[in-house]
Amino acid sequence: MRKILNVVPLLIFCILLAYLFVLLNEDKNDLTSALIGKEIPVFELPSLKDPELVFENKDLKDLPALINVWATWCAACAVEHPFLLELSNNKGVPIYGINYKDSRKKAIDYLKRKKDPFKFNIFDSSGDLGIDLGVYGAPETFLISKKGTIIDRHAGALNSDIWDQKFRIYFHQD
Amino acid sequence: MKMRYFILIAFFFFPLELVQSNAKEVYPNLSEQEVGRFVDLTHNLRCPKCQSSSLSGSNAPIAIDLKKIIYKLILEGKSNKQIKTYLKDRYGEYILYDPPINIFTSILWFGPFLIFFLTLLVILIYIRNRSTR
Amino acid sequence: MIPEIGHIFLISAMVFAFAGGVFPAVGIFKKNAFLISAYKPLIISTSIFALLSFLMLVYSFSKDDFSLLYIATNSNTNLPFYYKLAATWGAHEGSLLLWISVLCLWSLAYFFKTRQEEDKYRCLTFVVLSQIIFSFISFTIFTSNPFERILPISPVQGVELNPLLQDFAFTIHPPLLYAGYSGLSIPFAIVISALLTNSNKSIWARQARSWTLLSCSFLTLGICLGSWWAYYELGWGGWWFWDPVENVAFVPWLISVALFHSLLVTDKRGFFINWSILLTIMAFASCLLGTFLVRSGILTSVHSFALDPERGVYLLIIFGYFIFSSLTIYALKSKARESNQSYSLYSKEFGLLLNNLLLVILALSILFGTFFPLIYEGVTNGKQISVGAPYYEILILPFAAGLALLQGLALFLGWNATEDQSFIKRILIETTVIFIVYNILVYVFLGEITAGAFVSGLMFCWIVAGNLIDSFVLNLKSSHLYKAIIRRFSLILSHTGTAVLILGVGIVSSYSLENEIKLSKGEVYSFGEYQLSFEDISMFNKKNYESEMAIIGVTDMAGRKMAPMFTEKRFYPSAKQVTSEAAIKSTIFHDLYVTLGDDLGKGDWSFRIQIKPFVRWIWFGAIMIALGTCLASLTSMKRKE
Repeated sequence: MRKILNVVPLLIFCILLAYLFVLLNEDKNDLTSALIGKEIPVFELPSLKDPELVFENKDLKDLPALINVWATWCAACAVEHPFLLELSNNKGVPIYGINYKDSRKKAIDYLKRKKDPFKFNIFDSSGDLGIDLGVYGAPETFLISKKGTIIDRHAGALNSDIWDQKFRIYFHQD
Repeated sequence: MKMRYFILIAFFFFPLELVQSNAKEVYPNLSEQEVGRFVDLTHNLRCPKCQSSSLSGSNAPIAIDLKKIIYKLILEGKSNKQIKTYLKDRYGEYILYDPPINIFTSILWFGPFLIFFLTLLVILIYIRNRSTR
Repeated sequence: MIPEIGHIFLISAMVFAFAGGVFPAVGIFKKNAFLISAYKPLIISTSIFALLSFLMLVYSFSKDDFSLLYIATNSNTNLPFYYKLAATWGAHEGSLLLWISVLCLWSLAYFFKTRQEEDKYRCLTFVVLSQIIFSFISFTIFTSNPFERILPISPVQGVELNPLLQDFAFTIHPPLLYAGYSGLSIPFAIVISALLTNSNKSIWARQARSWTLLSCSFLTLGICLGSWWAYYELGWGGWWFWDPVENVAFVPWLISVALFHSLLVTDKRGFFINWSILLTIMAFASCLLGTFLVRSGILTSVHSFALDPERGVYLLIIFGYFIFSSLTIYALKSKARESNQSYSLYSKEFGLLLNNLLLVILALSILFGTFFPLIYEGVTNGKQISVGAPYYEILILPFAAGLALLQGLALFLGWNATEDQSFIKRILIETTVIFIVYNILVYVFLGEITAGAFVSGLMFCWIVAGNLIDSFVLNLKSSHLYKAIIRRFSLILSHTGTAVLILGVGIVSSYSLENEIKLSKGEVYSFGEYQLSFEDISMFNKKNYESEMAIIGVTDMAGRKMAPMFTEKRFYPSAKQVTSEAAIKSTIFHDLYVTLGDDLGKGDWSFRIQIKPFVRWIWFGAIMIALGTCLASLTSMKRKE
């Protein structure tokens, strides 16, 4: 009995050690969106380019689609921009933009200079729509299903690896 | 001599009251109790962008925005629970520093106490057995 | 040139450590006296070369040798000299060298303190220590070498020491903390040695206890300093965040406290032998685990160092090797020790058993809580939660209460059984008396009695009554008072320190005041018993930062002007970081804490103002604990067998 008892700490330790090895080899995840499976939050916000024009949920018609949250003050957004262009121009992926807490003039200039991959851009100057979406920084990209529900969210710059892993299959692409 | 000492201590110890004077609050129009709630909430909600910091202790843009939202919700008369739910709906359980109570987390909440009492029981039985030998 | 010498010295130390970890053990196995006695020159050589290597790194920092990658990333010419030296342990690679140096200092201290002992047993302790030293040096050289050069062109200017760390408390916090952590290697080595030599003498228990007490003392100071530093440096008045890295320092502390209590029983009465051995291994394991967690990137934290999986694997292997082998030795070598003696439930033995149960379960729970978000994410396939202050505060309260209860009884329970049970009535009366006085004071001066103040006050009064007051009351008439206190001085000091700490925590948690206000120049704001006026704000440049400093005039209730407060926001161009420097006015009973906020335009600035009553008591209590444990350690080392 005594002998068996003496081995227990060793066994517990081995389990702990194995678990730590597993943890070491796992990928680090960014924050999982709390909105997965839910509908896009209700919004009514002006367009970036035309302050008189107002967008609402029903304007997100071309689904499935990506919603990309970006700003001119965000360096990583500039890095992912070419890839967004490739997605929308070459692969025909609908991308709706949310210009997040930015200057209207700067954003319009930016799109003129770097070309515009977005179907249209929502001007979220206060960041309130961002908060409703659970955005905590830029850039972030949401994957929207045919029915208008949020399937996934990627925080950080989008690139071809992440596109392949997370989003591509929803668009029936090769 | 003793009297002077007493008065000196009394000055240090005078009942602390928040006097809402002419100063402009960064978050104005809150009653004393609401300020307390604001402080509590911002201390006990996690900044989603920071590695490990509460909203109170962070200057990240999202933290500042969320503090403004909390302030707005308090003004609207929402309770602490409603405010926490509002944020949880958008940012997930992660933003709350107290873990939820469900089947999985029950081991976290009740485990330590259960283990303590069980171990104590085992030890007491062992000691009882040993002394009756 | 100097860095190369430092590098060579480090490699030499590694070689000596390897030899010291292998050959004397072989000597014991083959009964070769020469090999056995070789442990002495080997441990000395290892330590000296390691320490010299560390000094070379420090020297290189002082000379701004930016050809070393480590120095180039952590220092620059504008850094004040003192911080250049301290930058040596400002990041992962250098801090490892500090750890190794401290471990070697411990080894040397243990070597010179235990001169007169039996060779085989003593030899084995240094074999174990050498192996530990070897593990860390090899880890440093192969994965985290501070002597790595940038070739062929070295930068003319370096980057920066993290601005948050450019502070006095920071410079001594890691050395103290590492002294605490690495010091637990000594009892570990002692215990392995005792197991392997099948020693029946219980000398090892007293030795292990002395060294555990000393390590715990350093650990207490290190953690205390970390808390104090976070309080004034991070700018928002918190002093403990249940950050994973903080937890991972708290756990060894709790275990080491349990350990020196358990070793007391083992030493004096021969009970809990196997438990003490196991607990010593656990204590050392928690240190290694802590090192692993902090440096492997598994747990994200404001403190995390290197985030390199290769390093993580290496550290995990070190962790696995020492704990696996020690637990195997334990499984094989620990004897079923049946004692024909027993002890009643009203005894010191049982009290200390409860003490251990509470401390260890608390420690393991905190460790579990730290890992829990990761486990939860794995089990629920991606859901993320946070385990933070609300959980830990609820967790720790009953355990702390139980420990406080036991502390009050500490001096009265007798070994084996307690004959004289009259003390219960006495300390109940003493507690009630001072508790009533306490509540009156709280009500008069703080305005209301909250649950936090009530509970922590109760614990405070109970501990103080049992440890301090009763000694006075009982011995007041006799000449024994002086002797009674001196004999128990370290115990009274540490236990009272705990009481002071608990009181500080309780009061600051319940009665802190905080507000964020907008002031324009000249405006006055009443807060608590103070009138604060925003007098001026100016910009100036220092060696490596630009500062905006606000001057706050302070008047007390009676209208008398007090010394003004200065709060700053600093911008460090090299690191591109902004830090806020809080202005703190301290008295014994509270701190007035002002932090400069943001420029709101039109000359308006925001300020965060807080009053933190009794916050200093937390660190004062911790210092008392550190002094008490240090004293207990030194007196027990002095005692002859």
